[in-house]
Amino acid sequence: MNAGGGRPGRLARHSPNGEWVLIVVLLAEAAVFGWAHPRFLSWENTFEIARLAAETGLLAFGLTAVIKTGGIDLSVGSMMGLAAVALGGSWSLGLPVGAAVFLALLLGAAGGALHGLLVTRLRVPPLIATLGTFSLYRGLAEALTGGYTSYTGFPAGFLALGQAYLFGWLPAQLLIAGAVFLALWVLLHRTVFGRELAVIGHNAAGARFAGVRVGAVTLRAYVICGVCAALAGVIYVARIGQAKADAGLGYELTAIAAVVLGGASINGGRGTLHGTLLGLLCLIVLQNGLRLAGQPSEIAGLLTGAVLIAAIAAAQVLFRRSVRPVAADASVSENPEEFTMKNHQLALLIAAILGGAALIAVSNLFLARSVVEAGASIQTATHAAVAAAPGGAATVPPPPPQARRVVALTPKAKADPYFVSCKQGADAAAAELGVDLLWDSPTDPDPAKQTEVVEAWITRGVDVIAASCASPEALSSVLRKARARGIGVISWDADAKADARQFFVNQATAEGIGTTLADEGARLAGGSGRYAIVTASLTDANQNEWIKFIQARMAAAHPGMALATIQPSDGQRDKAMTETRNIVRAYPDVKVIIAVAAPAVPGAAEALKQENRRDVKLTGLSVPSLCKAYVHEDWIQSIVLWNTQDLGYLTVRAAVAVADGSLAPGATSFSAGRLGTLRVEGDQILLGKPFVFNAGNIDDFDF
Amino acid sequence: MKDWVKKHPREAALLGAIAVLFLLPLGGVDGFYTAGNLRNLAIDNLPVLLAAAGMTVVIVAGQIDISIGSQFVAGGIAAGLLARSGLPMPAVALATLGLGALFGAANGLLVTVARIPAIIATLATMVLLRNGVLRATGGDWIQGLPSGFQWFGLAPASAPLVYLAGAGLVFAAAAWALRHTTAGRAFYAVGCDHEASRRVGLNPERRVVAAFAVLGVATAAAALLNYTRYPTIETNGGLGFELKVIAAVVVGGTAITGGRGSLIGTFLGVILLGSIGTVFTFLHVNPAWEKAIQGAILLVAVVADTAFGRRREGTSP
Repeated sequence: MNAGGGRPGRLARHSPNGEWVLIVVLLAEAAVFGWAHPRFLSWENTFEIARLAAETGLLAFGLTAVIKTGGIDLSVGSMMGLAAVALGGSWSLGLPVGAAVFLALLLGAAGGALHGLLVTRLRVPPLIATLGTFSLYRGLAEALTGGYTSYTGFPAGFLALGQAYLFGWLPAQLLIAGAVFLALWVLLHRTVFGRELAVIGHNAAGARFAGVRVGAVTLRAYVICGVCAALAGVIYVARIGQAKADAGLGYELTAIAAVVLGGASINGGRGTLHGTLLGLLCLIVLQNGLRLAGQPSEIAGLLTGAVLIAAIAAAQVLFRRSVRPVAADASVSENPEEFTMKNHQLALLIAAILGGAALIAVSNLFLARSVVEAGASIQTATHAAVAAAPGGAATVPPPPPQARRVVALTPKAKADPYFVSCKQGADAAAAELGVDLLWDSPTDPDPAKQTEVVEAWITRGVDVIAASCASPEALSSVLRKARARGIGVISWDADAKADARQFFVNQATAEGIGTTLADEGARLAGGSGRYAIVTASLTDANQNEWIKFIQARMAAAHPGMALATIQPSDGQRDKAMTETRNIVRAYPDVKVIIAVAAPAVPGAAEALKQENRRDVKLTGLSVPSLCKAYVHEDWIQSIVLWNTQDLGYLTVRAAVAVADGSLAPGATSFSAGRLGTLRVEGDQILLGKPFVFNAGNIDDFDF
Repeated sequence: MKDWVKKHPREAALLGAIAVLFLLPLGGVDGFYTAGNLRNLAIDNLPVLLAAAGMTVVIVAGQIDISIGSQFVAGGIAAGLLARSGLPMPAVALATLGLGALFGAANGLLVTVARIPAIIATLATMVLLRNGVLRATGGDWIQGLPSGFQWFGLAPASAPLVYLAGAGLVFAAAAWALRHTTAGRAFYAVGCDHEASRRVGLNPERRVVAAFAVLGVATAAAALLNYTRYPTIETNGGLGFELKVIAAVVVGGTAITGGRGSLIGTFLGVILLGSIGTVFTFLHVNPAWEKAIQGAILLVAVVADTAFGRRREGTSP
């Protein structure tokens, strides 16, 4: 990089691509978020950030080696899924867990070797080769498990990899990620191999003439990347306690963004591992800080995009390094101007960060103000406790009664119309009771990202958390942690493990839903015939549970009903329509379709309408507002659901009651405001039976 | 015939694969070969086909755009909101296409003026647009659309045929223009050798922005054709759309390194990848295998590219 002109200074040597700027960005982020929320700057939160960064970090470290050669690996997230399934599958077949982990890592190496061979021997462009394996690995993982099998019950020794804290404060996976980082840093920056990677990235043909074994070195880079991805998959499994085909979905984007933000050139040659680490931390800290400030995750997404553009554009424009692959002379005249340029780059980056913070403050002035106030009151109340135990083992006493209570609700997926309608009821209850409501989750159901949301709330110190669990295993470990810190925990909509929460707001049991749907389906089919199911994705835990009970009920009570097929809609209306049209044509004798995802029911209805198949009946689980028109046109005969607004309302009511102690174990009834008095059975608060909406009553509901 | 196969090995191989795929449902499977099913299959793949045409131009010009899934849903939502505000449908369509051109041009400017590599720039705009849509709508579907929105007010029976004919004509015109006009050939030149195209006076930066804008318009058109099939608009649509489109283009023989590719190949790629799911449903194959097989086809296609010794260095078709 710094060829010619003598030995460069220490700074230029360690940060040839202006990586040091990222440290300033990190400090700026810390200053902004530390001001917005005092607990951001605690040791506890620092380790939490590091813990959550470990998996993405492993992907990013491996990717740095590949990107330095001018390649890319899009399949790292899918490899996590495949490794998770290989680990869970081989363990469930009786292999010791250590051997299963080894097998998963071996699979990662094999996958990496496959990429390496495709790229070096067959000269397939890396983007395309790994786009193919991106689908292939995820597809294999889904096919091997049928999408729905998930492996749980791993031994405690293995789970410790992802859940234990050494000495009570050092997360285990941080140790692993740190060791990998150090090993790779030495490999990339202190060995001939590392130099060769860079040389290949600058000019592969030139490297060959200089005696570098381009093929072998590139292959090794991909193998490293594959093993890192598999290791990330193993830690993911250990952290959330279950191995399933959807592990690591979408992780590749953050990892690639971190590498590029860290100064690596996507065209190869340039890039440092510590730069990648800094880039990753900038992104993760941004997300964590915004979560602590109670900002919805879209804001973090928007700012991530903005920071990425600002940082790369600044680097490209101000460094005046050509990105055109033809400009071979670009790296010659780069050094003298660098320092003045970096000041501009710095200014731009900080402007981007501060601009983002200002944007949030202005766009949401009230929330920002309340966050600062709540933060201040928590700070005074817990100052002594936090000071006494900076390692984070402090149990946080509840905030003084004059502060507004903070109730945090996490739905499984924020963009799902079902949860959007729940939120209306939750807002109403929060307004009645005068509490602050936090409402956040990933946009698609993703247990790992959901646990990150909850982790941030624990650190923030909310009064009570109510979770609709995308995966009971994954959420329960973090909910237990919340309880241990003295935060009230209830579950709603989808239960956690019984010991991880105090109460479950039960809208209807999986069995109740399955039974009602099966009875509706059988009734519409006239007692006998074939039925088809349109589900969300094949890996969706809730849907698979309902389908199990639908099948059980059909077998027990409606022996004349036979299942034709189960098709996935991926939670998308478009795909539900396509699949339903194919079902009614490919299985012409299907008499009734049961769609078990909110967007799938209107999609299936539109399909029947466009196919004009009045003879096929449709029922399912959906939100009335999306189905009303179709119900009146008789394309949907009925939908099964509870009153979702009431569910949101009841959840907030119950959460507040748990927080102020008026709802304690042993209660048999609960007075829930406008809903009257509801029954409490054991630790479950019952909303009532699932409700069947049809043309006669659907207009009475406005959600 | 033999000459044609020799000159177009990729197209011939794709035709062979498509023939095999479409032979499978012949054996005792009812309902696949009906006019209605084939029309459904065509109309379902129309959005991917249009976007893939635009993507072919961008990839031929040596770039890539992974933000089109977000552009797709943003276009649909914009069309829905405009239609709901009372704008007549032709104006809605024009405004949506214009917005698509803006999205595309913005990507193009990030790549040329800000000099951000295309994959990174469009990664960022993908995240930005997706989160912006979520922020703006809160996840609520767009409902209460005027009755003239669905099928542009055409009769539901004839509308799919109008869509097919219209999109088919546009696609054919684009395929011809990309091969036989100066402006079309210029994309090949830029993708083949950026510097050389500058030396012959082509202004490659402007061509790259144009390629992205073409893709933006094509994606907006795809969104219009897709979302006007429904009386409401979902706000989390288009997830994974970019991968479907890029896979079809690459399977169709367009070189990811730029400078080589044809819309005929893209057309065949869309048919092959877009029909697998439906054929499998009719064959009663477990849907869990679909994704793995699509990935395998993509790999086989790119490996075949090199294994049969195709010219690799960028040359025009």
